[in-house]
Formats: sequence, C-alpha cells, structure tokens
Amino acid sequence: MAIEQQERVTPKPGQLVEMSWDPITRIIGNLGIYTKIDFENQRVVECHSTSSLFRGYSVFMKGKDPRDAGFITSRICGICGDNHTTCSVYAQNMAYGIKTPKLAEWIMNLGEAAEYMFDHTLFQDNLVFVDFCEAMVKGTNPSVLSRAETTDAPNAAIHGKRTIADIMRAFNPFEGDIYKEALVVSRVTREMFCLMEGRHVHPSTVYPGGVGTMPSPTVFTDYLSRLMSVIDFVKKAVALNDDVFDFFYEALPGYEEVGRRRVLLGCWGAFQDPEVVDYRYETMNEWGKAMYVTPGIVVDGELITTNLVDINLGIRILLGSSYYDDWVNEKPFVTHDPLGNPVDMRHPWNQTTLPAPQKRDFEGNYSWVMSPRWLDPRTGEHLPLDTGGGAFARLYTTALAGLVDTPYVKSTGSSVQIHLPKGNSLPETTLEWRIPQWSNALERNRARVYFVAYAAAMAVYFIERALDRVRGGDTKVFQDFDVPEQAIGVGFHEAVRGVLSHHLVIEKGKIANYHPYPPTPWNGSPRDRFGTPGPYEDAVQDMPIFEENGPENFKGVDIMRAVRSFDPCLPCGVHMYLGKGRTLRKMHSPMFGGGHD
Amino acid sequence: MAQIRVGKPDVAPDTPSHIKGVRQGNQKGSHKHQVGHNEDDTADARRSTGVRPGKENPIMPIMPNLSPS
Repeated sequence: MAIEQQERVTPKPGQLVEMSWDPITRIIGNLGIYTKIDFENQRVVECHSTSSLFRGYSVFMKGKDPRDAGFITSRICGICGDNHTTCSVYAQNMAYGIKTPKLAEWIMNLGEAAEYMFDHTLFQDNLVFVDFCEAMVKGTNPSVLSRAETTDAPNAAIHGKRTIADIMRAFNPFEGDIYKEALVVSRVTREMFCLMEGRHVHPSTVYPGGVGTMPSPTVFTDYLSRLMSVIDFVKKAVALNDDVFDFFYEALPGYEEVGRRRVLLGCWGAFQDPEVVDYRYETMNEWGKAMYVTPGIVVDGELITTNLVDINLGIRILLGSSYYDDWVNEKPFVTHDPLGNPVDMRHPWNQTTLPAPQKRDFEGNYSWVMSPRWLDPRTGEHLPLDTGGGAFARLYTTALAGLVDTPYVKSTGSSVQIHLPKGNSLPETTLEWRIPQWSNALERNRARVYFVAYAAAMAVYFIERALDRVRGGDTKVFQDFDVPEQAIGVGFHEAVRGVLSHHLVIEKGKIANYHPYPPTPWNGSPRDRFGTPGPYEDAVQDMPIFEENGPENFKGVDIMRAVRSFDPCLPCGVHMYLGKGRTLRKMHSPMFGGGHD
Repeated sequence: MAQIRVGKPDVAPDTPSHIKGVRQGNQKGSHKHQVGHNEDDTADARRSTGVRPGKENPIMPIMPNLSPS
C-alpha cells in the first residue's frame, strides 16, 4: 500500500513548508495538490493543482461515425459514464435534428435521477465522510471528538444517533452502520439505473433518437418499489449531514473559511422537459429554462444568466499552464452559431488539441488540464467557474432562478423545497435547501445530500408522468433519423459532479471535431494565461488550517476536505515535503480504512 | 497536428461503424419495418407475437394496449 522514502534536503529559510498530496482522490488518481504551508500562522500560502493524465478523446474521436460518440465518450469515466452518453446523445439529437419521443425523455430522466442518487450517496457516505469519521477526527482534532461525545445530535429523532460522536462512528469505513447502509443504497440505486438505461455505468439502451428500454409498466413499478425502499435512508442522510456540518461550524469557529472561495458557480442544467425540448439550437434558451434543474451562472450570489445560448457562447478554453500548443493558427470549424452569433477561436467547437508533453514546472506549465473559463459579457473577465461538486451549483441556480415548479420540487427564488413521500418508517417529509452564506467545503458537502433528495423527489414525478403516458397507450421510445453530411451540435447536461458539455462538429458524415468538457477540468484547472488560479487552487490558497497536528505528523485533513468537497475525479504516490531538512515521500494507493491510519 | 512523435495508425478510425449496404436501424423509414408499431405512436400485440396477435389485444377500447416485452 504505502512506500515511504526519506531523504535529506537542505532546510528552507523561513517557516514555509511544502506539503503535497498526489494523488488526492480516492478512486483513481491523477490529481495532485501541491501546497506551501505556513505552520506558524496556520495558513496555506500557495497551492497548485496538477493532473498527470492525458486523455485525448478529442484527438481520437476525429473521423469516427458520430453515432458511436455516446458509446465511446461514456468510457471517459467509470462512475458517471452515463452522463457522458446522455450528454453526447443531446449533442447528436441537435446535430441530426431529432425530437425524442416523450416517453424516452422520461426514461432518460429516470435513469439520470438514479445515477445522481447512486453516485452522490457513494461519494458522500463512503468517501467524503472518511474525512469526517471518528477515526479521522481522533487523529487530527482530538479536542473536537471529545466535544462531539458530549454534544447531542439535534435530529436524533430522525436518524437515531444520540450524539455527534455516534454519527461520526457510524461513518467509520468498513465498520460504521451508515457506511455499510450506504453501500446497500448505492447498489439499489444502481439497479434502478439499470432498469432504465440497461447497464451501469456505460448504458446499452441510450442512443440518439431515444432509448431501447421496453416501456412496460413493470419497468416503472420495479423502479418505484426500489426508490421507495431507499427514500427513508435519504431523509435520514439529510438529517445526519445537517447535524455533523452544523457541529463543525460550532466546534471549530472560523471553519467556514475552509475551501471558501468567491461564489462563482456554473450549472448546465439537467432533466429535460419532454413537452418543451426539441433540441434545436434556435430554441435552446426556452428548453434550457424548462429543464428540471435550471442551467445558469452565478457570480457573487447573483444569477447572471439562465440562457444556454449565452452560456455556450461564453465558454473559452484557455492555456497558460497546460502542456498544449496553442491552436489559434489551426482552421476554425464553426465561425458562427446557427443564430448568427460569432463563435470564438477558443470555443470548444473550434478547439484543436495539440499535446506537447513536457516537464512539470510550477513556474511554467504544470498540468494536462486546460483552463476552461466563462467570459463574463458585463466585465470582459474570464471567470474560473466551479461546480461546487455539482450539487451545490445545481441547487444554487435552481433556487435563484425560481423556474422549477413541480408537486415534489419547488424553487422559491431563495431556496429549493423538496417533498419526499412516506417511506417504510418515516412520514412524508419536506426538506428545504436554503442558499448558504458561503461557497465553502461544508456547504458543498451539505448540498450533495440535499441533491440526493432532489433527485429522489424528481424521480417520483418522472415515474408519474411516464406511467401516465404508458396508461394512455403510448409506447413509442425511438425516432428514426438520418445522419447529415454536415452539422454541428452541443449537449448541455450535468455530470454528477457538475457541468458537462459535448461540442460536436460533423463533416462528410464523420466527426470532424468533438470536445467533451466534464466538470473536473473546470474545477481542477491550473492558472490561465491571465494568472487566474483554478477553483481548487483558489479555494485552498490562503485557507486556515485547523488540524491539531504539527508538521511531523500532519495529515492535511482540512486541505483534503476542501479539495474533496468538489468531488474531484481526475483519474496515483503522495509527496509530502516536510520542513527541518527532511523530505518524506509516500507513494500509495489512497485507500483509507482498515488500520484507521 | 501536434509536434509529438506518434506511430503509424494501423486501423481506420471508423472501423466499428457502418458498413455500406447494411440497413441502418436509425434510418428514416425504418419505422414501417417494425410490425405492430402504429402510426399514432401506440403499439399492439403484433409487436410481441405473430401467432394470432388479434386475440391478445385488449378487450375494450378504453384499455391501453400494453404488449408484453
């Protein structure tokens, strides 16, 4: 598991100590976080986020049959591959001019709702909470744990855990009961997914034109019975999360600064409304606004736009610290969008990927991730938007836009109300996610569990609508189409951890250009050519440290909580540089558990 | 192209896709080959069976025609 090497280095002047976690992710890891920490003042001074993995999807998609795109791009990710399939299908629908049958849209929505429930639950309870569990807190902040032992949990009546420490124990990996229950829930939600999209995580029944799922009543009732079996877990999870995160604010005053950055959020929208969506670029603003998760961009708590056309035209892919050559001298693919608006050379439609491998240099180029930014038309600034781990931005834009109004989920303009039906043991429950004061690690984590509830509530609505159609005798789930010789398309969707776009250009019936932009390039981007740091760097830089350990046995839990709150997924050794003339290098596969260390 | 040394490709990029002459499932007009699927987006028992499908249809017009998979 872990290989440790120690070597002598000359002590650095001053008190700055370099600390690095590479990889920092717990699944597969190419994401490294390199920091300089001022232990005297308990602050992070500098942070670089780097990826050592080149994917090249945009390179090898060229020349392929566009209908294969959904199946190939699904392989980008081993946990949210279906989000890529769905997004690719949206882009292809636009390119081929397809209006998907309504029942097929409900089936895709149901599949995606199950995916959000599965993925968020797995990440939150089995990966995030490792940083908040009893074993971790004992090792990093023993005083907080002793306080947790004597603090009663306000929501004990719902989840049955008397003290905060009891909750933390329930999160202990492999042993705690919530940890184990979450594994069961993620299994059941995956079954729900498979009912709708055929296979997890690379769907076999989702393609442009519709789905291959046989819309029999049994498919929907099987889904519904599974959903009802996990609905009480969702209610309990929200209560547990609220208790723990509120306790952290209380026990560690100033903890709101951990992972805090300016409110710069992007959400590209999810769950199409079959009554409105026709996948035409010309009407994209209308069907974008009709989505059951409203797309939008939030700057400093203000909703700038909910228009997908504006969002699309404002995307810029910048270089500056990435291992690529500039493509400005390559040929542009799309000079104007179908509405006649000019499309920038740095827009994904016109991007050509020119990899230029080189040595990592934090003063120069240091990552394979490019720097996606959104050009604010008001100020001309290139904004490094983050997704807040997906759920945070989705709830934020949906709450502010006030457009979602269904019997189960309602946006009020400042909050999102979620009504969950009665389950086996808990009654009908209304939850409300209110826009928090900060965009920080704890709020990103809290939003995630609320979005599980959101997806569950929406799933109930989708089931009702789908069964209405089936009862009316509508069983059409696929629409014929021809692949045009020349076309462009764009798909906007939400991967579980945030914004997802696929930009597609077809020439001579083949893919001429294809650029998927998943959430982690936005979140994990390095400094761009203007020197603006990416969201991870920004959130960690100048962050206070609350860990009680000194440099000798520093775990960096606060930094990890900050970065992991974004749900990082860059597909791992840990390099820790310690002061006092000692460099400790650790290389391991980052699995926490077993020995609790 | 990027300034990096790459090998000679030994496969055509669109190898797994369409072969000329083979009918495409998504082609416009494919719908008419799908027996039992009606013009009005409904389907009847002919979709599921070729053996006396008429007898498998619902007995009253208000009932939806939900053929088994």
